[in-house]
Amino acid sequence: MAKLFDVKLVFTQIPELLKYLPTTLYLTAIALVIGLVVGLLIALIRMKKIPVLNQIAIAFVSVMRGTPIIVQLYITYFGIPIALKYINYYYGTHYDINAVPGIVFAMIALGLNQSAFDSETIRAAIQSVDRGQIEAAKSIGMSGFQVLRRVILPQAGSVALLPLGNSLIALIKGTSLAFTCSVVEMTAAGKILAGRNYRYFEAYCTLAIIYWVLTFILERVLALIEKKISIPEQAPETSTTEKVEIPVTQEVAA
Amino acid sequence: MSLIEIRNLSKKFGNNVILDGVDLNINQGEVVAIIGPSGTGKSTLLRCLNLLEKPENGSVSVDGKNYNLTTKSSKEVLALRQETEMVFQQFNLFKHKDALNNVMEGLRVVKKLPKAEARRIAVAELEKVGMSDRLHHYPRHLSGGQQQRVAIARALALKPKLLLMDEPTSALDPELVGEVLLTIKRAAREGNTILLVTHEMDFVRNVANKIIFLENGKIVAEGTPKEIFENPKNERLREFLRNINMLRTADDYVI
Ligand SMILES: Nc1ncnc2c1ncn2[C@@H]1O[C@H](COP(=O)(O)OP(=O)(O)OP(=O)(O)O)[C@@H](O)[C@H]1O
Ligand SMILES: [Mg+2]
Repeated sequence: MAKLFDVKLVFTQIPELLKYLPTTLYLTAIALVIGLVVGLLIALIRMKKIPVLNQIAIAFVSVMRGTPIIVQLYITYFGIPIALKYINYYYGTHYDINAVPGIVFAMIALGLNQSAFDSETIRAAIQSVDRGQIEAAKSIGMSGFQVLRRVILPQAGSVALLPLGNSLIALIKGTSLAFTCSVVEMTAAGKILAGRNYRYFEAYCTLAIIYWVLTFILERVLALIEKKISIPEQAPETSTTEKVEIPVTQEVAA
Repeated sequence: MSLIEIRNLSKKFGNNVILDGVDLNINQGEVVAIIGPSGTGKSTLLRCLNLLEKPENGSVSVDGKNYNLTTKSSKEVLALRQETEMVFQQFNLFKHKDALNNVMEGLRVVKKLPKAEARRIAVAELEKVGMSDRLHHYPRHLSGGQQQRVAIARALALKPKLLLMDEPTSALDPELVGEVLLTIKRAAREGNTILLVTHEMDFVRNVANKIIFLENGKIVAEGTPKEIFENPKNERLREFLRNINMLRTADDYVI
């Protein structure tokens, strides 16, 4: 009987599939940045209740959260070329859709999908920042942008880190759907490999191991960052040498 | 001419008139205390002066420079906010920064001082408020009184023309009030110009040069501590002082 399950192959083909890890990571990184930037924009629009944009943002988040990511990928992949044809037709332009690699569609679709989820996380985190500290920053004379960068984002950042980390982990796994945009990342490469030797089960086991190790490393990194940005539990030692006690009562009454 | 000249400051919340054409002069180095019943607009007055609230009307001149308090120009808003600093009832320290960095923040980000210089100033200010042994404590590691002293250092480090303080000791445990009052008193002795809202009448009596009695958005009485506490002419003021047991009438002594 032929081997039903080739355990050795599961491990020996790891390097073969790791060749496509850069594609997966590249896709993840760009989608992550798109997600955070657009997510922050949406969060700001929604908090400032900017007319028209606010309604568009609400509808966008609702649709993105209410439809499967794979459908969104297909819509992007087929929709953008159609839109481009219309644009070329009506404006007499000559944009060539074939010049755009499939990975760009996947980045856009995954990034926008991320942004919908990230925007809610970012909004909640920003709203959790104490108003008093924002007023203190303003009264020091900081500009709106400085308040955002120096006070709001660092504090919102530590609140948002865990949920954003979870959404990053979901994103890494989500890149395995990029085949819909004819991108060959790790999962697609695994399928192609299996198509040649008919070892589908082994290929999926290999993929499972790689993705798991990947998210495991990421979780460690996130935990490290969390530790680094959190305020220390313990107060530092007070330097007794230069201790200056205020002698209170006598002088106040004087 | 006074250092600070507030003119016709008016503020409404909806249809409620909170400040009704307040005029006030403050001289260089003066400590002016605002007293008055709860809800008469004391906090609102301070907050309008650094534009945390937008008044409907009013202007303030600081050291000869005139600011329209209804300005829409963010440049003018930032300029005015750099002339004044605020000390809050709830301290409002940046909780993700240690004491030193709380004080350095404005020096670095707003005044754009080089790091070494900002640090030198911050350490000196923290020393003055008796916090130099806790430069690297975060707000969560400090008592309320210590937090408020850091907040005072943060404000004074920026050398404001006018220091605004809104009930700086009201959120403190009684045993911590003294250290903060002392810090304020020292800031006053150093020549800082201070506009202070407080319920600490004994402190006001000792430290303020001038007292403003605010009621229903209007300055109803003003004078020196002696004039206000020992010989109040205004009937509303007398009633207020009687309510807080600061006015002894002959009746009080009848058994
Ligand atoms: N953001 C706001 N919106 C609506 N009304 C407000 C707002 N802030 C304050 N008020 C109202 O304005 C009035 C004055 O408030 P303010 O806080 O200035 O009083 P205060 O004199 O500081 O009182 P207290 O001694 O209790 O601190 C109050 O009646 C208050 O309810
Ligand atoms: Mg108040």
